[in-house]
Amino acid sequence: MEPQLSWYLALSAILFTIGVTGVIIKRNIIAMFMCIELMLNAVNLTFVAFASFFQDVTGQLFVFIVMTVAAAEAAVGLGIIIAIFRNRETLDVDEASILKL
Amino acid sequence: MDTAIDIALKFAGITVAFVVVLLIVAYTVLAERRVLGFIQGRLGPNRVGYGGILQPFADLLKFILKEDIVPDKSTRFIYFLAPVVATMAALMTMIVYPFGPEIRIPFTNITIPLVITHFDVGLLYVLGITSIGVYGIMLAGWSSNNKYSLMGGLRSSAQMISYELALGLSLIGVILLAGTLDLAQIVEHQSGWYGLRWNILFNPLGFVVYMIAAIAETNRVPFDLPEAETELVAGFHTEYSAMKFALFFLAEYINMFTVSMLATTLFLGGWNVPFAEAIFGRGTFLFGLVSAIGFLAKVIFFLFIYIWLRGTLPRFRFDQLMDFGWKVLLPMALLSIFITATAMYVAAQYFGVLI
Amino acid sequence: MLALLFILFAGLGIGCALAVVAQRNPLYSAISLIGVFISLACLYVMLAAPFIAAVQVIVYAGAIMVLVVFVIMLLNVEQEERGRTRLKFLVPTAVALAAILIAEVAFVLVSVQEFRVTPTNAASDIGVTHSIGSQLFTRYLLPFEITSILLLMAIVGAMTLARRGGLLPANARVIPGAQQLALSPDDLTLVETNSTDEAARLLGVDHRDESA
Repeated sequence: MEPQLSWYLALSAILFTIGVTGVIIKRNIIAMFMCIELMLNAVNLTFVAFASFFQDVTGQLFVFIVMTVAAAEAAVGLGIIIAIFRNRETLDVDEASILKL
Repeated sequence: MDTAIDIALKFAGITVAFVVVLLIVAYTVLAERRVLGFIQGRLGPNRVGYGGILQPFADLLKFILKEDIVPDKSTRFIYFLAPVVATMAALMTMIVYPFGPEIRIPFTNITIPLVITHFDVGLLYVLGITSIGVYGIMLAGWSSNNKYSLMGGLRSSAQMISYELALGLSLIGVILLAGTLDLAQIVEHQSGWYGLRWNILFNPLGFVVYMIAAIAETNRVPFDLPEAETELVAGFHTEYSAMKFALFFLAEYINMFTVSMLATTLFLGGWNVPFAEAIFGRGTFLFGLVSAIGFLAKVIFFLFIYIWLRGTLPRFRFDQLMDFGWKVLLPMALLSIFITATAMYVAAQYFGVLI
Repeated sequence: MLALLFILFAGLGIGCALAVVAQRNPLYSAISLIGVFISLACLYVMLAAPFIAAVQVIVYAGAIMVLVVFVIMLLNVEQEERGRTRLKFLVPTAVALAAILIAEVAFVLVSVQEFRVTPTNAASDIGVTHSIGSQLFTRYLLPFEITSILLLMAIVGAMTLARRGGLLPANARVIPGAQQLALSPDDLTLVETNSTDEAARLLGVDHRDESA
């Protein structure tokens, strides 16, 4: 039995849900960032699965663009995290919950 | 899907390649010590066996029998994972290199290709696995709970990811010339002009950039500040002893071997020996044998250049190293792409010559 | 055979994803995330997308995660402590909501069973570099160019954010009587100076002559 399209979509949904749960549960900013990357990858899997099952290369091109955007977001996001750490000396989102330094 | 015979053949190929690589790497260590001794005016190890031939086995025995010291406060899981990642990443690239053309087993009619597998994106696969190899060093530096290791690990991985860019960009000239990412196709592309149509003639700047970036990738002199003995004790592998240190050592030399094989495949024509096709004819056993030996000879030439550089050059300071990587090598790599693309376009449009 | 491979890589992916969320040490989360990326790359190869698989390993596992692990090591991030969250029912609520989301997706997937798409062979030609490249530079050229500008913006942004204290402009002055927020009582030191010049020298602000 070959893997069906619905199998790939189910796997992608499970990964996305795990990512969302991680963003809600985790208290470390870097761990939250990693769960966001997990969500992005789940969406990438959906795109590639559709591109493969409908024989259209557009899905894979979109994955290319999404990866580039994720790389740019990672660079700037980590810069922000370092700046927050320098100012507040902690990476706990619960501690950093007020705008006042 | 492949049949069972194809799968068995691939496993046999992987085993043979693994054994050959390990033997060559073990004797590279011995060769390095002998050649360094020659450059420095002394003899290398020559006691074990005739002229030191059995020295690698003596080293292996020493590594196995040494006491395995694990630092007390290190993170155990990552401490054990780091040398495994480094060695795995070094070995995984073996499967895409073409060691020779199709070779016909004598007295039978079976032809076996001397490449373990054809990837459409072989070159990208090699670049990806090289990126994974950085983790072994970073995790080793962190998990040893030792500030010298941490500094060495961070410096080494910063150096490796900086020079990876120049490495990847210098390969684009070759990809433009060959039109494909498959390494076996790139070698086939270089078999014109009686086996002399090597890419180094068309892209010398790319070759120079690639060699320098490859030396920096493998943490060899003159780029070996992160693991030099006089600088940071031993860098990221300070706290490793016995077999784990042997794995790091092995990973470094296998990396050296890998980048030499990549340089041979991409720039020096791979298994193309000049005039071999005219003498022997394709598909025969002798042609395959001569080509495989030619490939190994070119790889050993590159390894000799590595050892020669180690005996001759002083090492860079870390900020000089990073300046060189970002401010000199990266623009040169971009320049090589520009020149190659322009030359190909002009030759095609105005002279009608397809490069 | 392919179903077996799919189950293997999917199981690996889900296991590593659960480890990302469940681990308290952020370095272990990062390593598990690398495991997720590599298993996804294997799935992409099964889906006839070898180029995207290689780019996934190079960009995600080889560059972005290296950056994340660098930051974790440099900032010396410690483990999360247990049970100090302000919302006590956060974890059970999140798990319950996740279960509801998965139930919804399962319902949708089960109820469209009659629409079967023929699965593709992993050896099909759709994801070869040539086909991606030809589309990327002709039909989708505009997103490509905009992406390059986006990367330039990211480089400039990261450089600006990471500059250490160098954001003092060249004509910074010491203003007598100015108020400053202190982060903690240890940040405050009482120093007596005789003039603004001395205070500027102590603080390391360059004193430039306005008339020069």
